[in-house]
Amino acid sequence: MKKYWRCFVCGDIHFGVKAPEVCPTCLVKNAYVEISSDEAERTTRPTRTTMTRTEFPAAIAKFAEKNEFQVNPDAARVGMLLDGMFANEQNHGFKYCPCRLRTKDFNEDLKLICPCNFIIHETYKGKEDGECWCGLFIRRKK
Amino acid sequence: MSKLIMFHARECPHCKAMMPHVDRLEKEENVKFERLEVWHDEKNADLMRSYRPVIAPKCGGQLRTPTFFCPETSDVLCGEVAYDKLREWALKQG
Repeated sequence: MKKYWRCFVCGDIHFGVKAPEVCPTCLVKNAYVEISSDEAERTTRPTRTTMTRTEFPAAIAKFAEKNEFQVNPDAARVGMLLDGMFANEQNHGFKYCPCRLRTKDFNEDLKLICPCNFIIHETYKGKEDGECWCGLFIRRKK
Repeated sequence: MSKLIMFHARECPHCKAMMPHVDRLEKEENVKFERLEVWHDEKNADLMRSYRPVIAPKCGGQLRTPTFFCPETSDVLCGEVAYDKLREWALKQG
């Protein structure tokens, strides 16, 4: 079961089954303590930032740049997918993949938030021309 | 002819790519799809979720769009496929 963890040094919040051994922000070892979801919500609220549709492409491009995949160069396709993700965020709370339907099981649906863990999906894993379910990310050409 | 459903999403590129195939199939064969959008219509979404035990195992464990579904036979075809494959699937439903 996933829980909330807070780094006692820098205050970073982590949501996961286990706490990170090393805090990725301040690099302190064994710094995470388990906290309640209420505390996690309260402590993240003041610094909560919103990401606009125009800012999101840069965020996913940065995410992809050090990985074996890239954002699909098909701008029309990406635009359509971003429309869907931001509509889903507005209507259903998160940037759910527009090509899969949420189940209404919160933990299950976390797997649908973009970017998802598509490297294990049949559309990507072991495929030279692999892509995520919706085609937002494609394997980088060698 | 069995009732055929196409679960699709407005901003899904795979669904967009399949629409001309569905149009062509309806024109050329005696088939009709009920096209149900699932991200902007909760009633349609709930209907698709109600078929999750049947659909998900055949679609990578998830509710993907587009999904073509025949409630009478419980047969499922999901994702972006060639016209011939869609045609073969639809005609097989009887």
